[in-house]
Order: sequence, then C-alpha cells, then structure tokens
Amino acid sequence: MSHDLLTLVQWLSPAFPTGGFAYSHGLESAISAGQVTDAAALRQWLTEVLHFGAGRQDAILLVQALGPEADHSALDDLARALQPSSERLSETLEQGTAFARTVAALTGRALPARCLPVAVGEAATPLSLPPAQVAALYLHAFASNLTSVAMRFMPLGQEAGQGVLAALHPVIDALATEATRLTLDDLGSSALGADLSALAHETLDVRIFRT
Amino acid sequence: MLTIPINQPMQRSRGDAWVSLAHGAAGLRLTGLRQQGSAKCILPHGAVGRQGPPEVVFLNTSGGLTGGDVLSYAVTLGPRARAVATTQTAERAYRSSGGPAQVRVTMSIDAQGWLDWLPQETILFDGSHLDRRTTLDLGPGAGCLLLECVVLGRAAMGETVARVGLSDWREIRQSGRPVMVEPLALTDRALQTGAAGLGGARAFASVAMIGQGVADLLNPVRAVLDEPGVTAAASAPESRLMLRMMAGDGWPLRRQIARCLAVLRRGQPLPRVWQM
Repeated sequence: MSHDLLTLVQWLSPAFPTGGFAYSHGLESAISAGQVTDAAALRQWLTEVLHFGAGRQDAILLVQALGPEADHSALDDLARALQPSSERLSETLEQGTAFARTVAALTGRALPARCLPVAVGEAATPLSLPPAQVAALYLHAFASNLTSVAMRFMPLGQEAGQGVLAALHPVIDALATEATRLTLDDLGSSALGADLSALAHETLDVRIFRT
Repeated sequence: MLTIPINQPMQRSRGDAWVSLAHGAAGLRLTGLRQQGSAKCILPHGAVGRQGPPEVVFLNTSGGLTGGDVLSYAVTLGPRARAVATTQTAERAYRSSGGPAQVRVTMSIDAQGWLDWLPQETILFDGSHLDRRTTLDLGPGAGCLLLECVVLGRAAMGETVARVGLSDWREIRQSGRPVMVEPLALTDRALQTGAAGLGGARAFASVAMIGQGVADLLNPVRAVLDEPGVTAAASAPESRLMLRMMAGDGWPLRRQIARCLAVLRRGQPLPRVWQM
C-alpha cells in the first residue's frame, strides 16, 4: 500500500481533528421531524444527499481543487457562495479550517482556511493518487460521519448502520468516477429537502448537533 | 427548384430585451433600451422619475419556451439607481423535441444601486428542457433581492411531470466575486427523490437578498413562514438572507412568497403584474 494512500486515509479518518462528529448536515432535524426513522429511510436520505446534493457538489469542487492549475481562492469563494444556510457554511468552513491547520502542522506547508472539499483537494495535490480515489475516500468519510450521527441519534444498531454505509459504496464509487469527468459548470443540486432541513435546524428547540 | 431542408431544426423563437436606467440631472432616467424578436420590455408610463423605484416588466411574446428557443433579459442600473424588474406572466417551458431552451438573465447593478428581480413562476411541463442562467453583478455597496419559483406542471389541471431537464443557475456576484450561487438541477431521476430531494413537492422557491442589514430581516421573515401547505425556512449566512420554500402546488407557495416579500420589501406593494 502506498504511503500517500495511508496519508489520505489518516486525514479523512474520524480521528483526524476536524470535529466532523458535531455536524449532521440537516440529518438531525430530518430525524426529529420523523422523515428518517429506520435503516431504509437513512439509506435513501444519504443516497439522495450524495447523488443530488452536497456529495456530488463537494466531489466536483474537490476534483477541481486537485487540478494542477487550480485557483484555490476562487474555488473557496464559490464553495462558500454555494452554501444555502449559515450552519451549512459553518459545517464546511470550520471543518476545512481545522483540516488545513492540522495538515499544515504535520507537513509544514502553508494551507489557508478553506471550505472542506477545497481544503482537502489543496492539501492532497502533492499526493500521487488518482482523483477518483481521493473523491471516493472523501465521500466515504462524509457518508460514514452521517451514518455515525444517525446511530447516535435514532434507534439504529451498529450492524444496521454499517449495513447502510456498505450499501452506499456503489453510489460513492460511481459519483467519484463521474466527478473526474465534470467541470464547475456541471454543479447542480436538487437536494431541496436536505437543504430545507439544514435551514430548519437553526430553529430546532433541542439540538445535539451543530448543523 | 424548391428544396425542402430535412433534418434541420425547426425555426425557433429568439428574443432579447435590455433596459438601462441611470441617474441624471433630473433624477432617474432611461439611458438604453433594446427589444428584439419575442422579448419585450415594458416601462409603465410615467414610472421613471416618480416616487419609488420604477418597475420594469419583461415579456416573452412567443407564449412559452421550447427546445432551441433563446431568450435574454437584461437590466443595467447606474450608480445609486434602484429598480424593480419582473415578468408579465408565468414563464412556461413546454415539451422539447430538440435540445434545451436557453434563457439568460443578466443584471448589472452599479455602486450603491438596488434591484429587486421578482420574476413570476416558471412552469415546467412534461418533457420540457430548460437551461437558464441568471446572473446579478453588484458593484460596491449595491444590493439585490432575487426570487425564483419553479412549478412542475399545473396540479389543478391534473398534469403530472415525469420527464424534465432543468439547469437553473442563479448567481450573485459582488465586485466580481460570487456571494450566492444556487445551481438548481432537475432530471427525471430527481423527480422521484424522497425526503432529502423533492419529497413529492411540485413547487419550490428560493429567495436571496444581499445588502446592508439584510440579516436584521431574519426574525421578522421567519415569523411569517407558516402558510398552510408550505414548508419554509430562512437563514442568514454572512452578508445574505436566504429563504427556501417547498409546496405540493403553486398556489399556497405564491401566497407564502407574497407574505415574505411584504416583510423583505418593508411593505412596498408587489409588482402590479403579480395578480394575487
């Protein structure tokens, strides 16, 4: 196994101090509202967030940020402008900031605060890994974190939760491959329910997660 | 000899309308107007120079959009100029037999200016294919209010939409940098999505407001987000105010939009062409 792959796996692991466990991407309000109540509903929710929402969007931004000619500052402006709510902006920016700070401390490189997909793409540029592999591991980390959120917040056992995550592998794999063929003009979302859920989270009476 | 071209795309409509307003010695005045093809631009008589911002009304005389149509609306506002722009009726995108209809909406608002871009809803019919790009360029200190509302078919007429292609890119830039980008995309598969996607909703609206103090409107606008049949929420990331709404049908959504606009526009009446 390559050294570069181990480096990326470390960066995207739950132990890496980006604080990902605190962000539910609107899933907490969907669970509170009774929109996600079991493993099947969770699988559908996550599939749609990946395929029609932030998953595909982040994969495109990440692949662009990996490009040799990438303008990371412009990509970061775009990534911020794409966020539909203040909590979603915090989610991607605070994780990206912590990610960049930690990688900078480990590598001695100057890595400014960016939204997460741009931060990961910028940090991973020197790694000799195919962009589709970087995107797949990024999406897996995103889906894994949300699965963990669900397991902490709804009646869902460890095995059922891991089953949902395993079932998302084909979606993640296909999206990561597709993202390498896409450009910024291909950005497009129809995860309107997930977005609305993220906006509604701001006014939930009781909140465990930050988004 | 008469030759009949085959395999040639049907002649489709072209329209291009542009209006420019700027402050002169005697107040706001019309400084440019272009109307070509199916696009028209109406400035209600006496609107310019009267109290309140003028209302610019765009109209597509072709009666709707289909594959191959090209339509362009544009407004240019000079420094400190304020205006409201809207459309005469709902825009209809009909079944397309070849390629998308292309719509370009290009608004340029110079320093300290303000534009309300409040088009009426876009109705997508089964098999329609629309590629729309709305861009608002704000100069320093300029602001805007942007509304977009998309309805799938007319539920009251028993119409269902199973096939659609929509690429609806909305972008607001300030001094050249993007501050709000919302690329709505709908496909046949997206129409079938559950709770994280459309979840059976057939009408959706987004509002984005950029400008000084817009975050102060967050709580007042949240207080009116209770229209029956509509799910809606608001947020204020950085210097913008964002609203999202979803409904099973266009009518409750229209009522919710009107109530939100009354708050955001501080009681200023809706454009006259909006028949509520």
